Amino acid sequence: MSDLDRAIAQLRACRPIPETEVRELCHKARELLIEEGNVVTVNAPVTICGDIHGQFHDLMELFRVGGDVPDTNYLFMGDFVDRGFYSLESFLLLLCLKVRYPDRMTLIRGNHESRQITTVYGFYDECLRKYGSANVWRYCCDVFDYLALGAIVLGASYTLPASPGRPLATPPGADVEIEVCNADQQIISQFLRKGRGDPPNGSMENGVVQQSNGVSSSTPTNTGPPGSGASGSSGGSLGNPAGAVLCVHGGLSPLIDSIDKIRLLDRKQEVPHEGAMCDLLWSDPDEIDGWGLSPRGAGFLFGADIVKVFNQKNDLSLIARAHQLVMEGFKEMFDATIVTVWSAPNYCYRCGNVAALLELSEDDSGLGVLARSNGDVNRSDGGFPGGGAGPLRGVLTESEVDSKPLLPGPARRYRVFMAAAQDSRGMPAKKPVADYFL
Amino acid sequence: MSAPSIPNLLSLLGGRGSRGRSRGGSTGTTTNQSSSSSHDATIQGTDTDASISRLSAVDLGYLRDPFASHFVTQRQRSSPTRRLPIINRGTYTRTTGIDFLVSKFLSSTDPTKPRQIISLGAGTDTRSLQLFSSFAHQNISYHEIDFPTMIGKKQFVICTALWTLLSPLNPSSEPNTSSTTYSFTRSPSNTLTLHPLDLRSLTQSLPLPNLSPSHPTLIISECCLCYLPPSTTSQIISSLSTHFPSSGIIIYEPIEPHDAFGKMMVSNLAARGIEMPTLEEYPTQASQEERLRREGGFTQVKSKTIDKVWDDWVSLVEKERVDELEGGLDEVEEWKLLAGHYLIVWGWKGDGLEMRE
Repeated sequence: MSDLDRAIAQLRACRPIPETEVRELCHKARELLIEEGNVVTVNAPVTICGDIHGQFHDLMELFRVGGDVPDTNYLFMGDFVDRGFYSLESFLLLLCLKVRYPDRMTLIRGNHESRQITTVYGFYDECLRKYGSANVWRYCCDVFDYLALGAIVLGASYTLPASPGRPLATPPGADVEIEVCNADQQIISQFLRKGRGDPPNGSMENGVVQQSNGVSSSTPTNTGPPGSGASGSSGGSLGNPAGAVLCVHGGLSPLIDSIDKIRLLDRKQEVPHEGAMCDLLWSDPDEIDGWGLSPRGAGFLFGADIVKVFNQKNDLSLIARAHQLVMEGFKEMFDATIVTVWSAPNYCYRCGNVAALLELSEDDSGLGVLARSNGDVNRSDGGFPGGGAGPLRGVLTESEVDSKPLLPGPARRYRVFMAAAQDSRGMPAKKPVADYFL
Repeated sequence: MSAPSIPNLLSLLGGRGSRGRSRGGSTGTTTNQSSSSSHDATIQGTDTDASISRLSAVDLGYLRDPFASHFVTQRQRSSPTRRLPIINRGTYTRTTGIDFLVSKFLSSTDPTKPRQIISLGAGTDTRSLQLFSSFAHQNISYHEIDFPTMIGKKQFVICTALWTLLSPLNPSSEPNTSSTTYSFTRSPSNTLTLHPLDLRSLTQSLPLPNLSPSHPTLIISECCLCYLPPSTTSQIISSLSTHFPSSGIIIYEPIEPHDAFGKMMVSNLAARGIEMPTLEEYPTQASQEERLRREGGFTQVKSKTIDKVWDDWVSLVEKERVDELEGGLDEVEEWKLLAGHYLIVWGWKGDGLEMRE
């Protein structure tokens, strides 16, 4: 594997590898990815990342903040390429790391991992510029077709381990659900678990996390400690693993009511313009009821009711997704049943946003993984091919939702980071695509 | 975000941006001559890129404009001229938005009598040529004011490349004290006059040749006055609006410099040597509206961000057509951010015109 390690070293320095090596790398990656299901199972601990968009130096910053590979397990939710100036280096590095450490790197497909989109948004032009031909772009696109569509994170802990060397600001025994840290490992804020009846915290809905000082009234969650009546995990105790987390680039689809249905898709193709596969990569959560038309022209908008029903039916406690720029790096919505994670700081060198990654820690209670339905084809009632084929069929009714409480979410640590100073790494700066229309 | 952490890529780039920024320097009288003229050059230099942005939108079918390609040289075309969808949509929306208001002005004024349009720092803007060559409107007297070098370039392109497109074209020129004002007449009644003039001199010298104070007059500043010191711009607005009692005004410029996006915008532009003093002076939609009331005495004042212009003024059919051109706009959030930082503010006063939505 010395060749691979050499390629990794070269790419880490932001230098492209020769075309022949790209071809070989892509070939290996495809062999690896073809074995993966549409929905990859990943065990906690894992660090979940959103869009990268060719911002190579910021990807290096992400690794600095989140820990290097293979010390940290990573799950990247797609959109590795386009917009930034270093799509090629960013994607090839991630792919090298995937081939080198297949169990520690999970890459799922974003809507930009597509032939059509990359010809419009920059990756195609970049390959042409850097290699003089479209071959490398073609090799990469062939890999895109094999990327998984989603991942399920199992065994994430319900409680947050203390940051190494950094005692929690809250009293011992406090039940921290969310912790936000900056790039220097300092805790910015914490949120304790709370009963379900409390109103959702508006500031959290907007991703603006304020210093809570451990005051529970500002805790933005619907779930409560086991036994409090606010949680559905009857046998739960501190340290129990939380419900599973679904990771997908965009969101849900009206054609998909169970994770099993994702597993049955034929994913090895260019992202279609419509249909379930397209929706998973293109849809967005929104403050609406049910489904709505997407302003993007692909995928759908979906409301809190859709998420809650889907999570319940599939024994999920959380959906983690990317796809949308959020200025604060992450944004929890719908009583923390879905979160957007965005990992491209100062997006397009223009937006002034910070980025975030989401750490889910490993449950060490020894109680094992919760029983779930989502791993077993045909287990759930709405499973293929029996019923629920129509877009809006197969979902639970409101009364069913109420009778089956939501699973408690895993404890979440967000690390927020800013754009890397490119010049400090001695990289040649390229002509930006960022612009203002003045 | 601290300055050292900002990727400084933009500083390596020559003039980039968009159109219509060939205007008076922003540095004012307090700055020494060399830095002032170098800023003038920076601002003028960006016009090249502006014409390319426009051409990108035209080539991809966003805008119809037979003139745009003539303002981009062969050498400039050798580099890729295609812009990203978000920029193309921006070029489209602001052009459409201003066109919409110009047509409101024209349709509210008497077509049998002269109507005047004054475009400040027009650069390679082609709106004048479109209106001038269109038979849809009569009695338009269009005036462009810009640096002599910019006017010279435009006059040259009109007289060479665009001659046939604009035919029949009757040119005339009128030597002034320092330079020459060019006029073109297209039968029966439309004229285009190019005034080679530093905008900063407008605070003193009115009237300009071929302009009558008694005709309804529309003043357009498409990202132009923002490069000048606020004291200068308010004098320009005030002297123009005093000179033309029946007048309308359209100003297009960025706003909101204090949020995260705005700070990055200011910093990125500064890295390119571009300052926008009015951005600090009129940072919000409300302060931009107030500016027109106070400095220009405009009794009716309205405004819309480019984001809202797209939402409100572009028809559903047209939205669909535009979105389809590049397979849909993926950058929805970025669009809202970017387009939310640009404002069209407009106002009118006096008799014989109206610019209601």
